[in-house]
Amino acid sequence: MAGRRPKIVVLALVAIAAMLAVPSAQSLPGGISGVQQSGCNCHGAVPSDSVVASIQGLPDSYNYSESYELTVSFQGGPSQEGNSNQGGFHLWASDGSLSVNDATAQLYNENEAGHTEAGNDQTSWTLTWTAPTTDKNVEFVLHVNSVNGNEDGAGGGSSGDMWSKVAVSLSGPIEVLEAADPFVVLGVLIIVSATLLAITLAYVFYRKDPDAFDWDNFAPWLADWLTSTDHKKIGTLYFVAGLFFLGVGGIMAMIIRIQLAVPGNDFLTQEQYNQFFTLHGTTMIFLAAMPMINGFANWMIPLQLGAKDLALPRINAMSFWLQPFAALLIFTGVFSGHGADTGWTGYAPYVVSEGAHHGTTMWAAGQILLVASSTLTGINFLTTMAVMRAPGMGWMQMPLFSWSILVANVMLFLSIPAFGVGLIQVYLDRVVGTAFYDIAAGGDPLLWSHLFWYFGHPEVYVVVVPSFGIISEVIATSSRRSVFGYRSMVYAMAGIGIVAFIVYGHHMFTSGMSPTLRFVTMLTTMLVAVPTGIKVFNWLMTMHGGSLVYRTHTLWALGFLVTFTLGGISGMFFPSIAMDTHLHESYFVVAHFHYVLVGGTVFGFFAGIYYWWPKATGKMLSEKLGVLHFLTAFISYNALFWPMHRLGVWGMTRRHHTYFVTTEEALGSLPMEAAGWNMFITVSGFLFFFSNFILVFNMISSSIRGENAPDDPWGGWSFEWMTSSPPPAHTLYKLDDGTWGIPTLKDANEHIANEPGIIGRWFQRLLVSDEDTGEVAH
Amino acid sequence: MSGGFALFLFTLAAAFEWGEFMGWVNVPLIFVSLGIVGVGLLVWWRQDWSYGVDGKESMHLWEPKSTGTPFQNIDIRKVALWVFLMSEMMVFTSLFSTYMRYRLGIPNCKTVFNSGDWVEGTAVNCFEPASHLIASSWFHLAPGAINTFALIISSFTIVQALRYAKMKDIDENVRRKKVTRYLGTTWFLAVLFLTLKMIEWFLGFPLPEFMHEFNHGDSTIKSLYAEGYLINADHYQHHYYDTHYLESHGGMDQDTALYAMMQEGTHPGGHMMANIQVSATTFYVTTGTHGAHVFGGIVGLTYMTLKAARGGYTPDNAVSIEYFGLYWHFVDLVWVLVFPFFYLY
Amino acid sequence: MSVMTPIFETLWDHYILWSVVVGGIAFGWLYHHSFWFTSKDGEKLPNVDDLAVGVFPKHNDDMRLEVAWTVIPFILIVWLTYYSWAPLDAVWTSTEGGVHGYECEEGKFSNNVMDSNGIITSDCYHVIEITGQQWFWSFDCLELETTLCDTGTETMEVYGSVPVLSLKKGETYLAVMESIDVTHAPWFQHLGTKEDTLPGQQTTLWLPISDSMTEESMVLCAEYCGDAHSIMAAKLVAHN
Repeated sequence: MAGRRPKIVVLALVAIAAMLAVPSAQSLPGGISGVQQSGCNCHGAVPSDSVVASIQGLPDSYNYSESYELTVSFQGGPSQEGNSNQGGFHLWASDGSLSVNDATAQLYNENEAGHTEAGNDQTSWTLTWTAPTTDKNVEFVLHVNSVNGNEDGAGGGSSGDMWSKVAVSLSGPIEVLEAADPFVVLGVLIIVSATLLAITLAYVFYRKDPDAFDWDNFAPWLADWLTSTDHKKIGTLYFVAGLFFLGVGGIMAMIIRIQLAVPGNDFLTQEQYNQFFTLHGTTMIFLAAMPMINGFANWMIPLQLGAKDLALPRINAMSFWLQPFAALLIFTGVFSGHGADTGWTGYAPYVVSEGAHHGTTMWAAGQILLVASSTLTGINFLTTMAVMRAPGMGWMQMPLFSWSILVANVMLFLSIPAFGVGLIQVYLDRVVGTAFYDIAAGGDPLLWSHLFWYFGHPEVYVVVVPSFGIISEVIATSSRRSVFGYRSMVYAMAGIGIVAFIVYGHHMFTSGMSPTLRFVTMLTTMLVAVPTGIKVFNWLMTMHGGSLVYRTHTLWALGFLVTFTLGGISGMFFPSIAMDTHLHESYFVVAHFHYVLVGGTVFGFFAGIYYWWPKATGKMLSEKLGVLHFLTAFISYNALFWPMHRLGVWGMTRRHHTYFVTTEEALGSLPMEAAGWNMFITVSGFLFFFSNFILVFNMISSSIRGENAPDDPWGGWSFEWMTSSPPPAHTLYKLDDGTWGIPTLKDANEHIANEPGIIGRWFQRLLVSDEDTGEVAH
Repeated sequence: MSGGFALFLFTLAAAFEWGEFMGWVNVPLIFVSLGIVGVGLLVWWRQDWSYGVDGKESMHLWEPKSTGTPFQNIDIRKVALWVFLMSEMMVFTSLFSTYMRYRLGIPNCKTVFNSGDWVEGTAVNCFEPASHLIASSWFHLAPGAINTFALIISSFTIVQALRYAKMKDIDENVRRKKVTRYLGTTWFLAVLFLTLKMIEWFLGFPLPEFMHEFNHGDSTIKSLYAEGYLINADHYQHHYYDTHYLESHGGMDQDTALYAMMQEGTHPGGHMMANIQVSATTFYVTTGTHGAHVFGGIVGLTYMTLKAARGGYTPDNAVSIEYFGLYWHFVDLVWVLVFPFFYLY
Repeated sequence: MSVMTPIFETLWDHYILWSVVVGGIAFGWLYHHSFWFTSKDGEKLPNVDDLAVGVFPKHNDDMRLEVAWTVIPFILIVWLTYYSWAPLDAVWTSTEGGVHGYECEEGKFSNNVMDSNGIITSDCYHVIEITGQQWFWSFDCLELETTLCDTGTETMEVYGSVPVLSLKKGETYLAVMESIDVTHAPWFQHLGTKEDTLPGQQTTLWLPISDSMTEESMVLCAEYCGDAHSIMAAKLVAHN
């Protein structure tokens, strides 16, 4: 047995090395840093190889303030002598100033020039460019359009035209270093974080036993972590991975905010920005939120149920290990510079078009693996909760966190296969050439929308319902009361779970739905507020008549109540369709979902961390740091997302890499104040990002020199508090008679537990149980 | 195993791009990835093997049973399998709804042909259900029909295997032989299923002499591939949609608008060209997904047959055959739905 | 400065009112309980519900309260749905005999009017076409006269060359839309309305230009469509 572990480690390392050695799925070079502006709105998505653009007259390196006569021209394409028009151009120079020589060209501003109507019947033009007065790397981007002259054709005569572009770099007398490519920034930050993580782990290992810090001890320790099927180890793995990707997603968000801090910013090009927001969404939901939920669930569900482990431990391990590999697939796209740029929603037909970058295929592939992982997880937890509850624990005696995980997992494994099928369709379309979303062959883009949102809407409830469970536990324990209305809490969660499946149409209000369907969706969407409202009121009522003990997790729970309620209320504006037509795809949406996802889910996670950390690690977190973390994070968070509501109403659109405000000279799309608010949001964002390092620091310092935690520091009643902190390697509980074993749940109510109710008895009649055994097995 | 799956998807994408094969150089990595998956599977199986095969008593043969209502006394893994089947049902539901949406939303090729709303040389988007080709004659339908029976019989044999594994008072040698034989038969029938599917899709098969006359004189049954029913078929032509062929092989249907237009001279007739990519896609992907599930079953059956041959199944752990049996019944059930919807309708 | 159309503003104000009411109740309650029901550190706490490890605690519920806060929000929601119904009807009114009547015949005008809630009705409407493609908009006035509908281009300082659609105040238009390649969505910012343009299918969008409409406003793309999504803009001019 001992000999097997190193082999597995070696295999794993070989596999990783093999993957690193393989070239990425596409072998394009890093590519040009991108076009700053498309200017003349090029015709069609893909440039043509048969048109060749060129700029002549540029020197090897410019002299300050000197003027150069440039000739821009093209060859090839459908343009011919005798056409009514032959072609056009657009030249952009990042520095210096352009000027025109004649009426065949016009100047948009000193950096951009294009053809005029008088000059659209030629294939070359001359311009003058004056070099700047200081050292800069000047980029020239020339777009040319070869026209076939069919003025009455589709799209205003642009069908059949072919365009191309060329980019040239020019430096002055002194070579200047290029500005950092945002991808390089992201890559460096990720590698740095991963290295820091590795160092931290090594350090934690060292501190466990400084004398035993050598490879002979490290290898088995690492191998154990890699091959373990123990729910506690897997929970920790999930949690650490989730936290790591929360940081990575946060870095991406910061880069996005730098770009949006001022109007017309060019820190990120359009293509780069598109990749960043896609990856931010995908990372945060699938690589950060879901794993962290699974981390909490893996740790706490067996403990709360009084079980030894989950129902299917090896499959549990596989569920986890699919995640890092899926992350690798998704990020290959990023590091090649051609990551997925479809938005996390990946709408067809863009997602299967050639315009979407190559990384989209890998993005789809990675997500297919994540779908598999989630399905297996869902099966595992549902089975565990159905069959492995301790004696005395009927369905209605489970702790509310367990209920929340149950509802979330049922929703998950019923909805995610649809997403998986959609992804496979996209993957096959892109790789094999099937025609699921091929418009020319009759494919339907709305099919993807339906498959995606049928999954997507339950998914966002999957992500938030576990936080409901955590908050229930925390508020109840902190108030020293049991949760108000336990049964209606259960029914409310189940109700949310069911209604979630029928309201997904509200993401498609502007996609050409029939009016009848829109009304039904509107009403049902509004109705989701009812069970959610019940839960909020129940939480508030739980505090009534209790004695609230203020700890950090209490603060986070109260903060959750504020932000989640705000997010829920802002969500109520969308079902009113006359408002939705304005607010759809605006920053109002961004504000809403960040309020419920960050203000709901992530704040729930923070509460859970401060609540269960002592149990899982056996050390207490510092309360002082916790309060500091809460204050800085909560305040900066609200400063960050609240102004976005206003920006949305003003008309700021999602997924736009930049925006323009109305000034005295020019009409833009937003009022002047929008610029100031965006800067305010960016600064708040940085504050929020850095405030979370307080938590990380708290976790590290607690691991090293925190005080030891008792079995039940907060006074909770569920089974996890009945074992040691941390629990023993093979989970067992401290029984009343002093021995260790599986506990039996007692009930302070007069209620006979473990007798099936009406539904249970009916169900049992349907099932066939084994003929011979009649007793309950332990 | 996870690494293997990831690598598989990655290398598959590397090998193809937009439906065009990018060269053999990328293919070896696909096999490497499948190899890694296989290695993972072998590790898994080695663990299982040590539970009582070849007389090893290293681990207590114990199948965990549930404690919670309403599933008391039912094996945990059985519950897990039912839950898994529920999620698999969602997979096939999604594929079916895709099929339904396109089948009902895109006009049928026959309707389009008969309405005369086409021009020779321009491909028209229409839906050509596979049944048009497969259900056209008994010979074409033969592989599909045999497959249906093969799966149904295999569901029966797996139950028999379970019965003998669970049976109490029989000689161990007899048990071993019977279980192995039934599992082996199931394996054989599953492999037969996939083989016939491949014949139906790609190979076609020749007919003996005496049957030629029943097949309009053709000596072979063409495969779907040979008929041009492909995923990238954007100029699909078939003799069903060729007015010259129809006229020379028994006349055109006089009830159609096309016929009337040809009589009037407003339509020249000819050979209609169709873009049937969507039809072929939904057909191959849905039946292919089902085939992939059959293949997964074969992989499991291989292990189980080997284990049975070594006497690994006793009444204590016979229930693991039942787990597979549940999965296999589900696969059979899906086929019973797929066959009429895709092959007959 | 507000880009809210009157119809939006009416709904917005009403929803904000109820949000403040609900939020006020919830936050007031939270505020009160957070301070009223606290304990001091080290104090021996009363165990109201028999909390003990390994024991499922006493149920803490009150049927009347729970029914109350199920029924009252439900009524509120039904009310809000009812309140939103009329605007919904106006935004997606039928093209045959809805609030904008039927298509205008030659020489007829819409003469639309706005009521106190911001809902616009017309005698009839004119049909125009909008096509979206990567990455620009195309407007087609079909057979309408230039006084009713005109197209052109303009150079804007930040967007470069943008198409311009010029429509007459007091007239209502039905835009029949399609996309050539991927999904787009024109967002007429000062009309507060948008609808997806889909490839292979047609969608429609009502553009009721009221007399009080701003002269110049932007049309931005509001459905992610690829590399130049952010600057796929157009300008709407409302002329007399």
